[in-house]
Amino acid sequence: MWLCGADEVVEMFKSSFPLSFLFFVPVLILISPVSPAAAAHEFAVFRMQQYDLQGSSYGCRNSLVNVEARAIEAQMYTRRCVITKLQDLAMDKYREIVSQNAGALLVLLPQNLTELPNIVKEHLLELEQDLMQEETPLPVYFATETPQLLDIYADVKTSMNSDQAGSAAEALLHAASANGFQMVVAGAQSKALGDFQLVNIQGKLTGSGIEEQLPTVAIVAHYDAYGVAPMLAKGADSNGSGVVALLELARLFSKLYTNSRTHAKFNLLFLLSAGGKLNYMGTKRWIEDQLDSSESSLLTDVSYVMCLDSLGAGENLYLHVSKPPRDGVAGDVLLGNLREVMGQFYPDAKFEMVHKKINLADEYLSWEHERFSIRRLPAFTLSHHSTHKAPLRKSVLDVRDSVDKNVLSRNVKIIAESLARHIFNLSHDTDFEVFADSLKVEPQTIGSWLDYISSQPRPAQSLGKTSPLVATLQQALAKLLKDVQLHMVKADKRDPEFVFYSGLEYVMNAYNVKPAVFDLFLALGIAAYLGIIYFLVQVGTTCH
Amino acid sequence: MTFFHFGNCVALAYVPYVIVYKCSGLAEYSAFWKCVQAGVAYMLTQLCKMMILATFFPPSDLPEETFDIVGEFLKCTVDFADLVGLHFVMSKVAGKGQLKFMIAGMGWATAELVMTRFLPLWVGARGIEFDWKYIQMSFDSNVSLMQHIATATLVWLYNRHDLHKSLVSVVAILLVLSSYRPVIVEVLIHAVGLGTWTVLLAKLLFTSSVGLIALRLYVSLSLEVNSYY
Repeated sequence: MWLCGADEVVEMFKSSFPLSFLFFVPVLILISPVSPAAAAHEFAVFRMQQYDLQGSSYGCRNSLVNVEARAIEAQMYTRRCVITKLQDLAMDKYREIVSQNAGALLVLLPQNLTELPNIVKEHLLELEQDLMQEETPLPVYFATETPQLLDIYADVKTSMNSDQAGSAAEALLHAASANGFQMVVAGAQSKALGDFQLVNIQGKLTGSGIEEQLPTVAIVAHYDAYGVAPMLAKGADSNGSGVVALLELARLFSKLYTNSRTHAKFNLLFLLSAGGKLNYMGTKRWIEDQLDSSESSLLTDVSYVMCLDSLGAGENLYLHVSKPPRDGVAGDVLLGNLREVMGQFYPDAKFEMVHKKINLADEYLSWEHERFSIRRLPAFTLSHHSTHKAPLRKSVLDVRDSVDKNVLSRNVKIIAESLARHIFNLSHDTDFEVFADSLKVEPQTIGSWLDYISSQPRPAQSLGKTSPLVATLQQALAKLLKDVQLHMVKADKRDPEFVFYSGLEYVMNAYNVKPAVFDLFLALGIAAYLGIIYFLVQVGTTCH
Repeated sequence: MTFFHFGNCVALAYVPYVIVYKCSGLAEYSAFWKCVQAGVAYMLTQLCKMMILATFFPPSDLPEETFDIVGEFLKCTVDFADLVGLHFVMSKVAGKGQLKFMIAGMGWATAELVMTRFLPLWVGARGIEFDWKYIQMSFDSNVSLMQHIATATLVWLYNRHDLHKSLVSVVAILLVLSSYRPVIVEVLIHAVGLGTWTVLLAKLLFTSSVGLIALRLYVSLSLEVNSYY
């Protein structure tokens, strides 16, 4: 009975060709697997920043791309992936791309960022700042130029696009011969990392005597980096140099503190803070937890907090304060020491105090010490930047080559000497050097630490508690200091101060494609060819 | 690309087979099943060839780029099994004399087309990436149709007793040439550095010259045969 039914069905298909065509073609399309071919071109791309901070959203909100490539010289960007070299992307062009609802933007960065001409560097710095001003639905990707990518770029650029053609015939002809690229970033859409924790690393050196009764000096450096694309942010100077300086200071003073004759009557508190580029979120919570906890903390009656930020380049050294220290307080003593040490050992370099009041109306605090100053703790920041507006502090251009280990060693030496003169209460007119011979600052160690820390991107998003860098820093501090602890900072569930998103790095595929019209032309060509074959075979058999 | 592109490739690859089948008189003699038998013989022959290759030619440790000409030559020698297979088909499958080699060539080529071309087209031509190689592959299958029919004709001619003695050697040379076609093409690619389109063109020229000579021989022979009546 079943077989009879089957026969009928077979008959139905046999009798009517259109019916069987209508039946089989959709079935074939349905059972066909999705794009099984491997891409001819595959390359790593780095997505632009995406985060929410204090209720505002920044960066690009999308990550998925599946559109055709266009060069930036084209006029139409709608639903296209715009490919551009860094030099060709200007802010007005970017706004136009966004307003035309482009599908994606791919920016090609030169191989070696340090060897760029200055004008290009400035352009990049400006662009980075402008891009991060607002949020955008456009997926923005950055990629380093490779020969293969440049080939694709050249192809996309030279192929004149149909919307630029002069006449309809020209457009049609072009459509048949064009060689396009379909850019695809597949995978999961970027999503919020709900329970991400920032990790502060703290440790201390206890002074000689009863710990609670001794004055305390805190040394703070944030260890994350920032750039327009998180995975390109190496942050060698800001704030890799600050972290290395802090590690070296910890090493020098731990040596002094292990010997009972050089054990000072000061506690030293060290903090490597997280989220420094995101309005010092890690520092903020750390201060809150320290001051508001029921246990007495060393921070409550700290003499001063010394923040280290960008110390690895430049001739000069600046001390940034939000309120100049009154005469005679500890901060003033250190300021005097710094001036003296600079004058004695490095008379060529300039040292200056920069006074800038905290502007609470600003979205971002200028320096890390302002987090402490808000809570009425005496604090200042040491940096070679004369102003907090220096764009290099938040740039992908901040790579290892921009930092000089000798300059950093000099700055560490200055800070260490001044600090030693303060805590050991050395007389003012001496030119006695504490950190000489076996205690001297080691440029070699500083150099290798700098190499290590700037060898990998350090965006705040990737420095969770499982991060190897955090573990390394913790171990390094644990060897030198006592009581090394990790302090976790988690955003509030209901009203988060910061939200990070997944998807920092993707693989982009470029598929070589032809427009749909091309297939139509091809079909015509094949039909003509088959016609000729038919004709030839007919002629051949009739002659025969 | 798209399903449409896949359709184009399939049309280009398969329709000439249908045309040849319909127009060469095979359809009128309802030789379909015989063609299928020839196809099965093709598969058996390939199986034997693969066994021999796997037994006597273990994969060499040479790096990918180097071209081992002696090894390739020896491997191509195994392709003589194809000729034996074709001969077997023609001697076992009943049919009118001249029709025999058409059946054998047609079945042989169709089996090859189905076994070696359909899957790459199905997987490749429908991917996002566009590549000319699927169009080239379809063209190449047209060339192989010609090639297989020509080879079948030559095998048939070789086994004829009434073939003129001086022509036997010509036929033998042509058979050897068409067996070693892959290795000749490889040498050309490596020596001259031909592009994919020129290789296709070279194959076409080679096959059509062999085909034309085979046709010439066949026509002269059949005229001779007809003149007896």
